[in-house]
Amino acid sequence: MAMEKTSIDFSSTHKVIQKYPQEKRYTLAILQDIQREYNYIPREALLILAKYLNTPLSKLYSMATFYKALSLTPKGDNIIKVCDGTACHIRSSMIIIDEIEKSLHIKPGETSADGRFSLETVNCLGSCAIAPVIVVNETYYGKVTAARIREILGEYGGN
Amino acid sequence: MGANSQKKVLVCCGTGCLANNSLEIYNGLKSKVSAASVAVSVEPIIKATGCNGFCEKGPIVKIMPDDISYYKVKPADVDEIFEKSIMADEVIDRLLYVDVATGKKVQSQNDNDFYKKQMKLALRNIGEIDPADIDDYIERLGYQALNKVLFAMTPAEVISEVAESGLRGRGGAGFPTGRKWKQCAGYDSFPKYVVCNGDEGDPGAFMDRSIMEGDPNSIIEGMLIAGYAIQSEMGYIYIRDEYSLAIKNLAIAIAKAKERGFLGQNILGSGFNFDIQIVRGGGAFVCGESTALMASIEGNVGEPRAKYVRSVEKGLWGQPTILNNVETWANIPLIINNGSEWFRGIGTKGSTGTKVFSLVGKVKNTGLVEVPMGIPLRELIFGIGGGVIGNKKFKAVQSGGPSGGCIPESLLDLNVDFDTLAEAGSMMGSGGMIIMDERTCMVDVARYYVNFLAEESCGKCVPCREGLKRMLEILNDICNGKGQLGDIESLEEICSMTSEAALCGLGKSAPNPVVSTLKYFRDEYIAHIVDKKCPAGICKELTSFYIDQELCIGCGKCKRNCPAMAIEGEAKAFHTLDMQKCIKCGNCIDTCKFNAVKVGEEAI
Amino acid sequence: MNITIDGKICQAEAGEFLLAVAQRNNIYIPTLCHSDALPGQASCRLCIVEVVENGQHKVVTSCVYPVTREVEVITNSAKIVAMRKTIIMLLSARVPGNEEINKLREEYSVPKPTRFTSAADEQCILCGLCVKACETVGLAAISTISRGITKKVATPYDEPSEACMGCGACAQVCPTGAISSREEKQHRTIWNKRFELISCKSCGKHFITKEQIEYMRNKLGSTDDEILCESCKRTHIFKKFKDLYGVAAK
Repeated sequence: MAMEKTSIDFSSTHKVIQKYPQEKRYTLAILQDIQREYNYIPREALLILAKYLNTPLSKLYSMATFYKALSLTPKGDNIIKVCDGTACHIRSSMIIIDEIEKSLHIKPGETSADGRFSLETVNCLGSCAIAPVIVVNETYYGKVTAARIREILGEYGGN
Repeated sequence: MGANSQKKVLVCCGTGCLANNSLEIYNGLKSKVSAASVAVSVEPIIKATGCNGFCEKGPIVKIMPDDISYYKVKPADVDEIFEKSIMADEVIDRLLYVDVATGKKVQSQNDNDFYKKQMKLALRNIGEIDPADIDDYIERLGYQALNKVLFAMTPAEVISEVAESGLRGRGGAGFPTGRKWKQCAGYDSFPKYVVCNGDEGDPGAFMDRSIMEGDPNSIIEGMLIAGYAIQSEMGYIYIRDEYSLAIKNLAIAIAKAKERGFLGQNILGSGFNFDIQIVRGGGAFVCGESTALMASIEGNVGEPRAKYVRSVEKGLWGQPTILNNVETWANIPLIINNGSEWFRGIGTKGSTGTKVFSLVGKVKNTGLVEVPMGIPLRELIFGIGGGVIGNKKFKAVQSGGPSGGCIPESLLDLNVDFDTLAEAGSMMGSGGMIIMDERTCMVDVARYYVNFLAEESCGKCVPCREGLKRMLEILNDICNGKGQLGDIESLEEICSMTSEAALCGLGKSAPNPVVSTLKYFRDEYIAHIVDKKCPAGICKELTSFYIDQELCIGCGKCKRNCPAMAIEGEAKAFHTLDMQKCIKCGNCIDTCKFNAVKVGEEAI
Repeated sequence: MNITIDGKICQAEAGEFLLAVAQRNNIYIPTLCHSDALPGQASCRLCIVEVVENGQHKVVTSCVYPVTREVEVITNSAKIVAMRKTIIMLLSARVPGNEEINKLREEYSVPKPTRFTSAADEQCILCGLCVKACETVGLAAISTISRGITKKVATPYDEPSEACMGCGACAQVCPTGAISSREEKQHRTIWNKRFELISCKSCGKHFITKEQIEYMRNKLGSTDDEILCESCKRTHIFKKFKDLYGVAAK
C-alpha cells in the first residue's frame, strides 16, 4: 500500500469545504471534492469536515467506506481501470486482469508497493463496441488482448 | 456550393466515439475550417454531437444537408473529408456503410440496416444537435411542450395525458408513469420533489448516458412538465459518478436554460417556479434503487428502505416525490406535443411507445437502437444487430442486467415488451441486451452477476447479504472444479427465499440470473459439478483445448496470437497445443478460421 | 379496524405495525433485530409473514409493515417457515459458534450447515441495533463500514473512539451478545477502549465510567448530584419520598 503522505496542506481542505453550505446533504459532494484534491481522503480532512457539518466522525467514515468513488488510502500514480461490464466480461476482461496481476503483482483494489500503480475493476464504461476496455489515467485502450498488456503497462514504466 | 446551402458537419462525440479519437477529428475539422475561412463564403458549422448509437462503426461523421454518413473515420481522414465533402460536394466511398444484404454502399444514415428499422423518439435529437447549444434544441421543437403545458393545460390535464399515453417507466420495473404522477399529486403535503434517476448502473447499458450527454434539455423539459403537474418547485438529477461528460453537459444545459428563462422563477412569465440541481453519485450501483437514491441525495449512505409507504407519499425528506428514469423523462415532451393517442399508436397494448436497447456482447452491430415495443427479439438481434460475431452459434441473450434473466434460442420469437420478458423469466430493466454465443459459459455468467451484486449490495439485510455471499461461494466452487452434489439444490433454496424476503428490489431480483441459467442451462451446471468440465471452454480449471489435426492447415495464426507461446508447429504442418503453458485465454479458438481448435481433450 | 392473524380477529389502529398487533394478541413471531426501544431495523427478515389481500399473497416484514386496510395475515405458512429456516441456516453459517443463533437453529430444526466456510469466532449478525443505540444515546461512536458482503460494524479506523463513553448500551441491545464488554474491578474495556469506572458513593460498586458522568452532566447541567448506582439511587429516592410524605415503614 502506498504510504500516507505526512506533510499535507490542510488549508486547501477548508477552501474545498467552504464552497458548500453547512448542510448534511452536501456530504458526498464535499467528500468527492476532497478525494479529487488529495487523491484520497486524509484522516485530518475527515475530522475537519466532521466539525464543519457538525456530524459524527463515524458517519463520515461510513460514507467514505460505502461509496467506492472515495478512498481512505492514497491511490497509485497511475490508475488502471479494467472494465468488467458484462460485454467486456464475456470478451474476456478476466484474462486482462490476470495478466496485469502477473505483471504488477497487485489484485483489483490494491496499489503496488512502490505506489506507481493502482488496479481497479469498474462497472461498464459504456464503450462496449471496443470491448474489452481498460483505462489508464484518462486514456482508453480498446480491444485489449493479453499480449498487449505488457506493452501498455510499459508506456507507464511498468516492468 | 450555393450561398444558401450552409454545410453542417456532425461529429459524434459520445463516449464510445471519443474513446476512438473522435475529438481529434472534430478539432481537426474545426481548425481546417478556420484556417480556410478566407476562401470560404459560408462557414460550415462543425458540431460535436452525442452518441449516434452505431458505436461498432464509430467514429461517425455526418455531412448535412447532403445527408452523407461516414463510418470508422480516422483523424487521418480529416483532410480528405474537408477537401471533398465540405469544400466540394463529393462523396468518399470508402467511408460509407456497406449494406450487408446487397453489398452496396449506402450514403444516408436512414438507408442503412442499422437505422432503417429504428424509430427515434427518446433519441430524436442525439447525433443531430450540439448538446451544449440550447438553440439547436429549440430549433427542433424544444421547450414547446413546456410552453403548451404552462399556458394551455391544467396540471390535471397534463397528468391525464401522460396516463392516457400508457407510458411505463423505462428504468426497470415499468410502473405506469401517469399513475405515479397522479398518486403524488393527490397528497396534500408540500414541498414536493421531482427526481431523475441517472444512476444507470446495469453493465452493458448506456442509453441513459447517451441521452444525458447528447440531449440534456429533453430531460430538463420533462422534469419541468412534471413539476408543473404535481406542483413541485424543485428537481434533482442524480447522475452516476462515472459519467463525467453527462454531468458536464447537463450542468451546461441547466445554466443555459436558466439564462433563457426556462428554469428559475416565473418561467416564461407563467408564475411557475422550478429549479434543478445535479447530485453526483459516489460509485454505488444500489443507488439506482429509488429509496437508496433518495437516501444518497439526503446525505446518507445509499441504503434502501422498505417500500410499504411509497415515495410518492413519503420520499425525499419525507415529502411526496416523483422519481423517473432518464429515458422516461425524454419521452414526456413528445407525448405533450403529439398527444397520448399518437403515443398509444406505437408499440403494443400493454407497452406503448418505443424502447432504447443497448446491443452489446457477441453481436456484430454493437450500439444503441430505439424501436417500437413489440419487435420480435430475433429481429432485434439478427436484423438490426446483424447477428453473432464471427457467425458463431447464438446461445442466449441477457436482458435487464443483474436483475434480469437469460433468454435462450427457443424463445427468440417473442415480441419484446415489459410483459413478455417478465413471462420468460427475465425483465426489461434498462434495456441492456447482452448477446452470448457458444463461447460463453452460462455458469460463469451467473457467477459474474452474483459477484457483481455481492459487492454492490448495501449489505443491510440477511437474505441479500448472506444469500449472495453463499451463492457466490457455491458458484465460485463450481467454476473452480470444487462443485458438490447438492449445490444446485442449495442455490435454489437460497434463491427462493431471497426473491421474496429481501428488503429491496436489488435483493429480490438478485436470484434471477441464477434461476434463469439453471432453468435453461442446467446441463452446463451438471457438467461443471459432476464431470468437472466447462463445455464452453471458459472456466480455466475445467477447460482444455486441443487442435484437431484433420482440420488444421498450419497457417500459424493461432501461434502468432498466443500470448503464452503455448502453440508449436511448422508452417503448413499441423500445430499442437501445450496445455502446461496454455493460459486458457481462447485467442486461438477465436482466431482460427478453420474451426480447428476445439474445447476438450483429444481422443487418443 | 380489524385484521385477521392466523385466523384470529385482532383490533388494530391505522398505521400500527403488524408485529405490535400480533404481540398484543399473544401471537408469536420470531425476531432478532427488533427492539421496542429502537424499532425499524428490518434487517434480519425473521419476522416475515404473508399478507393476503384480494386473493394476492405478499411477503412482508411485520416489524415495519403498517396496518392500513383490513387484511388477512398468516404468520407460519409452509412457505414462511421454509424461508425462516433458510434465513436461520444462513445466519448459522455466518456465526457458527453463536449461542443465540444455535438455539434458534434447534428451535426450527435446522441442521448445522457444513458446506460453507465460516469465521469461527464471528458473533455479529449485522442487525444494526448497536449502531442505532449509540446514535440514539447521542454519540454515534460506531457505524457500519463498507457494504455488501464485506460490511461490518466498527469504530472509525478500527481505533478507540473519542466519542465512545463506554456506556455499553450497544452491548445491551445486541441480540447475539457479539459486543464484548470486559469488566474488571475498576475498569471496563469495550471497542478497544479502556475506561476507568467510578464507584457508587453509597455501596462502593464500580459501575459507571468517568466519561458517562461528564456526558450526563453536560447534557443535564447539574454537578451536585451524588454518584449512586441504580439500586442505591432507588433506595435514595424511596427514602426521600418516605421523609416527604411521612409514610411509616412497613
